[in-house]
Amino acid sequence: MSSAPAAAMLAALQERELQYRKPTPPNEIGPFYKKRAPQTAMLRAPGDPGMPLAISGQVFNTRADALSTAVIEVWQTDHLGHYDLEGYRYRAKLPVDNHGSYKFESVMPGHYPDRVCQHVHYLVTAPGHKPLVTQLYFATDPVFEGDPDRNFGRDPLIHNRELVRPVILSGDPKTIQAVVRFELVLELL
Amino acid sequence: MKGARLLLPIVVLQAFLFGASAAKLDKTITVPPGAVVRFTAFSPKGDFIAGACQDGQVRLWTFPAAELRQAFNLQDQPVSSLAFSQDGTLLAVGGTRGAVKIFTIPAGKLKTELKTGQTVLALSLSPDKTLLAVAPQERPAQLWDLDVRRVITDLPAKFSGSLAVAFSPDGKWLASADADTTIRIYEATTGALRATTDDLLLETFAIAFSSDSKYVYAGGADKTVSEINLTNGKVLRAFPKQSYVVGDLHDSPDGKSLVAVYFDENSFKNPAPVLLWDTAAGSVRSTFSESGVTPNGGGYAKDGRALVTSSSGPSLQVWSFR
Repeated sequence: MSSAPAAAMLAALQERELQYRKPTPPNEIGPFYKKRAPQTAMLRAPGDPGMPLAISGQVFNTRADALSTAVIEVWQTDHLGHYDLEGYRYRAKLPVDNHGSYKFESVMPGHYPDRVCQHVHYLVTAPGHKPLVTQLYFATDPVFEGDPDRNFGRDPLIHNRELVRPVILSGDPKTIQAVVRFELVLELL
Repeated sequence: MKGARLLLPIVVLQAFLFGASAAKLDKTITVPPGAVVRFTAFSPKGDFIAGACQDGQVRLWTFPAAELRQAFNLQDQPVSSLAFSQDGTLLAVGGTRGAVKIFTIPAGKLKTELKTGQTVLALSLSPDKTLLAVAPQERPAQLWDLDVRRVITDLPAKFSGSLAVAFSPDGKWLASADADTTIRIYEATTGALRATTDDLLLETFAIAFSSDSKYVYAGGADKTVSEINLTNGKVLRAFPKQSYVVGDLHDSPDGKSLVAVYFDENSFKNPAPVLLWDTAAGSVRSTFSESGVTPNGGGYAKDGRALVTSSSGPSLQVWSFR
């Protein structure tokens, strides 16, 4: 029967489709990117005010391959909403392991007058892939009033609900921190 | 009285130390309710002001008479950028959904229109008015042939797009200030890359060529105006750093000064100064700084005075200083 190879091919295609990952929505770069950020996973200095924040994730491409060659740069404001233009506070190039995983520790960024929501900027590059410029937002942002599904559009720069990530509070009251997971999916060139 | 006598020497000393200049409020132009002017562009000869208004209109006033001559719009989208041609006979208007329309000045006739698909952050017309450089947000800048309304080439950065574009006065060069913090210098007619400036760490928001087409001035988040050699992209010198971010630059017709419009990094709405730089000395010739005034445009008048605009409710204010 000639249907067996066709069925196998269909199954392979379906398998492939299951593995397909949707690219992370891009979001604009904003005005305060600074190149040559230091490589570190600890953006927070001892004694820094603000809610401690731990963000982790993994970098893939749309074929679901983990990208160990990815380079991630992040930058954000301090807890009061100020970018450091003089130095590299709250700016880093993040180490990525063999599985494309990354993590870093920071503080919850502040609000500032020209932006509605708290956010962290990302620039992700990897050989053979389109660079990704995006931003991460927090479902706990008071702007969303507990309903990011309905209210994410209150920040005119948030075009996609997917960029608003859940926030889990972990630790005891003395060491409480906000924990966020943000997967990054790059498109192939 | 004693206090007033003490105050006067302090003011004079401040003016001496910081080059503060007595600004003159030249004109107050009333705009219709709801038509607050968001930003402006002066024609290179200083005889027209174009203002992008909150009601979607671009209003064109003569200067110094301040007579309203035209009102344009992009119909379905707010205006995001304005640029006069170097002879002042064309005005390019870009919108938040990618439309670009080019109008004749002062007649106000639509000469051509094109679409880029993204918010137009910056525009520049070549001196012979046959080429247009467009910076669509988060996309590579584009070099357009206006005669056939076709993109000659994209001008890509490593990522994201360009924030400012400018043709040199001699028409040979095109510069882009890109979000990857690089300034790129291209051959104007082909878009072939000829030099790059990689020394700037932060994003540049404004570029302007010197009137002799030998240098590019760049300013941005580093709060510095840098002078760049066109042929090799090297930063030749950086003018003294200020407390504010550079948002706009205009070279004077005689090439001796540069108007730099600054903004407060914490909010574009906060008051900020405008500096008149002496380009030969690399020093501040004078400073425009008025209490409560947030500049939203700058340029030069026919007689060489530096001009600044600001909005106050339903009026556009035009200030001048030397």
